[in-house]
Amino acid sequence: MNAVLSAKGLSKRYGKRVAVDGIDFEIPAGRIVGLIGPNGSGKTTTLKAALGLIPFDGQLSVLGFDPRTQRDDLMQDVCFIADVAILPRWLKVKDAIDFVAGVHPRFNREKAERYLALTKLKPGMKVKEMSKGMIVQLHLALVMAIDAKLLVLDEPTLGLDIIYRKQFYQNLLEDYFDEHKTIVITTHQVEEVEHILTDLMFIRDGRIVLAASMEEIGERYIEVMVSQDKISAANALQPIDRRTVFGKAVMLFDTAAPGGAPRQQLAALGETRNPSVADLFVATMKGSYA
Amino acid sequence: MNTTTMKWLIRRELWENKGSMFWAPTIVAALLVLLVGGTMVYGMAVHGAPGIVHIDGQAMSRGAFAAAMPAEMQLKLAKLASGMYIAAGAPLFIIMSFVVFFYAVGALYDERRDRSILFWKSLPVSDGMTVLSKAVTALCVAPVISIALATVASLILLGFAMIAMAIGGIHIAGSILTQPDLYLQPLRLVGLIPVYVVWALPSIGWLLLVSCWARTKPFLWAVGVPLIALVLVKWISYTLENFSSAPLNIMPVAQEIVARLLGGIVPGIWLSFVPIPPEMHEHVRGPDMGLLFEASWMSLATAGAWIGAVLGAAMIFGAIRLRRWRDEG
Repeated sequence: MNAVLSAKGLSKRYGKRVAVDGIDFEIPAGRIVGLIGPNGSGKTTTLKAALGLIPFDGQLSVLGFDPRTQRDDLMQDVCFIADVAILPRWLKVKDAIDFVAGVHPRFNREKAERYLALTKLKPGMKVKEMSKGMIVQLHLALVMAIDAKLLVLDEPTLGLDIIYRKQFYQNLLEDYFDEHKTIVITTHQVEEVEHILTDLMFIRDGRIVLAASMEEIGERYIEVMVSQDKISAANALQPIDRRTVFGKAVMLFDTAAPGGAPRQQLAALGETRNPSVADLFVATMKGSYA
Repeated sequence: MNTTTMKWLIRRELWENKGSMFWAPTIVAALLVLLVGGTMVYGMAVHGAPGIVHIDGQAMSRGAFAAAMPAEMQLKLAKLASGMYIAAGAPLFIIMSFVVFFYAVGALYDERRDRSILFWKSLPVSDGMTVLSKAVTALCVAPVISIALATVASLILLGFAMIAMAIGGIHIAGSILTQPDLYLQPLRLVGLIPVYVVWALPSIGWLLLVSCWARTKPFLWAVGVPLIALVLVKWISYTLENFSSAPLNIMPVAQEIVARLLGGIVPGIWLSFVPIPPEMHEHVRGPDMGLLFEASWMSLATAGAWIGAVLGAAMIFGAIRLRRWRDEG
């Protein structure tokens, strides 16, 4: 089985509003994919469709299952954190572990307990006594101990402070991810995930505007600190974004765009570097907030 | 059906509803023992047993009364006590009706309101198992808890009563303890659970369905829809009867439907839908539990019981289908 997730013409409407507009994509195994887009762009809808939480049109295959009709089989191999702080308030830490151990055949109790031992969580603690960050720690402990083939994280760190956010992604990368697993993350805190992603997918108004691996993106996009005298020459090469940093013009170029200038030509304009995902995101999404 | 998963799901329901399912009836049972038993003990301690007993206008001393009580009479008293003591637990079943009602109304609504449905749905547990675990909790687990507590509370109260009678000179404790009824009563209650399941199914089905469907205020929907429908039917039948001379008689049917949708969870409701055997009226000193047991099982011989049960099961199935695509929030 090559593609963990493949969509063909995936669409979802809420009444008249089109949330996802006939998108196609494939996610192979062993990748960490960032599904990134502004609010209301269709990220969460796409993931909910893949998890069999909502009906949809088009084709969607997750680990070879159709999430509409084979959700019960699918959930043996898929796990997700749909949002922060959705654990029920009455749940105790030890009960949560007992319950998941009881119903999930792929749950590794020792792993969950080992992870929890590193936190301030105590077995008798109830979710309602926890801070938001602690709830996420508990949820992550449960999810990381499940040996799932696909893990879907929808805004897993929303509203958490920076320490918890960093720790979350670090744990994910160090203790969970391996070549047999696939992780799909949506977030709009792009800066924090860009180092762990292997693939990027930008989604805007229900359509995928960019889908590429991080290497491809590094080859394709280039940021140039244009020297003062070459600004007009640089502008002629159709940068997709320009901004000014400390009085210097910084321009972003897409070398794969029709009529895009090759790397060597751009290098002549000034100092070059790989753009950050956040800058690329802002350039790509230009106009969608207007 | 995966029994391990079911076991954990039911345990989860008990964790979530520990307060209403366990502590509320426990407190009621404790209060029952404390208040009724306390009154008995207090009465004995402060006033003592009555020294003079008046029977048919003739005054007798207590000792004489106890001595004059024929063995046959004592046996009758022992039979009555061992047959009736379990009725002391009745308040627990009233509490249970309320607990089960509010439990079922919230069972599939609260998980959407607090969005925890997203967590439960991230685990390999089907919608069918989840909804069934809630139905089983309402139909079987809650009654078992109530029966256990009612039995304990009734036995304690019977103990108090035996002590009180012994102080009064009536020594029938030995006789009561050898009555088979004493031990049969709790078993009879357990034996009534299947009857309860059949009669409570339409209510539980309805409440779970509304709980799963309602976007807000499931209680209002669950109670309001049947009541408004009833008013409408009343109005229609009233209007129609003004025009046609023949009475329609749809009101009794509508009333029965509403009563069974909302009242099915009250234990013993079945006795109001089946004719009570005439022997039961002959027992002046309250209903005989054995006869009550028989009459309850006889109620399952009516078509109405099973029509309701099938409709209830269909509504539970509907709730399962609804939960599959129900969005949170």
